[in-house]
Amino acid sequence: MTRQDIENEVRKIFLRDFEIENPELDANLREAYGFDSIDAIDLLLEIEKYLGSELTQEEKKQAMDIRTMRQIIDYIEAMAARREMPRGGS
Amino acid sequence: MERRVVITACSAISPIGHGREQIVQSLLKGVSGIAPLREDALISRFIHSRVYGTVSYPIEYDFSRQYRKTMAPVSYYACQVAKEVLGQAQLPADFVTGGRLGIAFGSIHGSPTVQREIYKIFFEAKDKAAYQGIGAVDYLKSMVHTTAVNISKMFGITGRIISSGTACTTSSQSIGYGYEAVKYGLQDAMLCGGADEYDTTTVAVFDNLLACSTAFNDTPERTPRPFDRARDGLVVAEGAGAVMLEEYEFAKKRGATILGEVIGFACNSNGGDLILPNLDGITKTLRLGLENAKINATDVDLVSAHATATKMGDIIEAQATGRVFDKGPHVVGLKGYIGHTMAACGVIETIMTLYMMQEGFIAPTLNLEDIDERCAMIRHVQNLVELKTNTAAIQNFAFGGVNTSLLIRKWA
Repeated sequence: MTRQDIENEVRKIFLRDFEIENPELDANLREAYGFDSIDAIDLLLEIEKYLGSELTQEEKKQAMDIRTMRQIIDYIEAMAARREMPRGGS
Repeated sequence: MERRVVITACSAISPIGHGREQIVQSLLKGVSGIAPLREDALISRFIHSRVYGTVSYPIEYDFSRQYRKTMAPVSYYACQVAKEVLGQAQLPADFVTGGRLGIAFGSIHGSPTVQREIYKIFFEAKDKAAYQGIGAVDYLKSMVHTTAVNISKMFGITGRIISSGTACTTSSQSIGYGYEAVKYGLQDAMLCGGADEYDTTTVAVFDNLLACSTAFNDTPERTPRPFDRARDGLVVAEGAGAVMLEEYEFAKKRGATILGEVIGFACNSNGGDLILPNLDGITKTLRLGLENAKINATDVDLVSAHATATKMGDIIEAQATGRVFDKGPHVVGLKGYIGHTMAACGVIETIMTLYMMQEGFIAPTLNLEDIDERCAMIRHVQNLVELKTNTAAIQNFAFGGVNTSLLIRKWA
C-alpha cells in the first residue's frame, strides 16, 4: 500500500460516495466541497473497509480534526503503519 | 398587535397531479388518484385494503448530494414543493436567510422507509459490521422533523422551525401555527406544509382498525366515497403541499402576487378518546375558527370537509358542520379525489380549495352518488358547480382527538 495507492483509493471514494471530483490536496474540504461531519463518518467506514480492519473509537476521534485530502492520506498511512507494525516486529 | 396574513405562493404533489394546472384539470374532469396497492414484500400481502392514493408520475428532482444525503422520500416531496413555493414567491434572497422567514412543516412519522431499514438491522444484526449498517444519517432522514430541517438546510432558512406531527392535522396545524407566527409578529413570513411518503404501515394501522376501504379493491377509482351510503373506509395516500404565508404590508410593499388570505384558525382537543370522532369537540373547533376569523357562519360559502369516508367520521363531521353552518355553504370532500394524504391532507386540501376559489368552480365530492341520510344535513356537491366563492373553511381532524379549522379568503 503506497502513498499513491492510498491517494487513488481516497479519490475513488470521494467521487463514488461524495460526488467530489479530484479535490485539491490542501483545500479545506468543508469550505471548498461541503464535506461535513456526516461525510466524515461515512469516510471512516470506507477507510475501515480499505484497511480491512476496524478503527478504535480513539482512532476515529483523532480523525475528527482532519480538514484536507493530504491529512486523510496521512491518517490512513499512519493507521496502516500501526496495523503493519506487529507483523514487521515478529 | 394583530397583522394580516396573506398567501403568496402554493404548490402540491398529489395523487391527481403536480402543480396548479394538473390539479385543476383533474378536479374539473373528476379524475381519481386511487390505484392498486403496491406489493412491498413486507406486510402488504396481509392487508385487506388493496387501494392507495398514489403519486404515480415521475418527478424530476434536481438536488445535489450535499442535500440528498439527509433526505428520505418524504423530504424529496417536501423540498420539491418548498422549492416551487420559494420560486413562485420570489422573496428577496437576504430575506429568505435573514431569520424573519420560518418553516412550519411536518410528516406523520418521518420516513417509514428508512425506519424499516433501521429495524431490520435492529432485529437481525448478527455482527458488528451489520450494526454499522445503521448509518450516521439514518436518524436525520427519518426523524419526525426531517422535512422541516431539510428544507431549512437546502434554502438556508434561519427563522423558527415548527414541526407538528399530529397525524391528519399535521399540515393544517403547520398553516395555522405559521399564520399565528406571522399574525403576532414573531415572523414576517412562514413556509408551511406537510408531506408523507408511500407507506404500508399506515395502511396496516387503519386496516386493522377496520377503517380502510376494502369493498372497491377491483375498482380503486370508486373509493373513497365521502358521505356516500356505500362508503366503507378511508384510502391512505401520499403527497405533499406547501404554502407561503406573508405579512400583508410586507407582501404589498414588495409587489408580491397575493393569492388569498388566511383569516382565522382554531385547534382544540377532544380531551378523551384518541380514535372516535367527537361531535362536541369538532363543533367547538368550527365555532372557534369563525370566532378567530371574526366572521359569521353565513359568511362562509365553501367548506372543505375532512371527510375520510369512514362510517362514523363522516356522520359526526356532517352533524357538526350542519350545527355550525346549516345548509349554507357548499361542502366538498376532496379526499374522494386523492384519498387521505395523511400529514399532507390539510395543506393539499387548502391548496385545492384555493384553486377552486380562484377558478370560480366547486368540484363535486367524487364518488358521492347516494348521500347517506345521516350526513344529509349539509349542502353536498354532487355535480360541478360554477360559482365564485370568497370565504372557505378547511376542516381536518386527527387520531389523538385533535381538530383544526382554517378560514381562508380569496384575494379580490
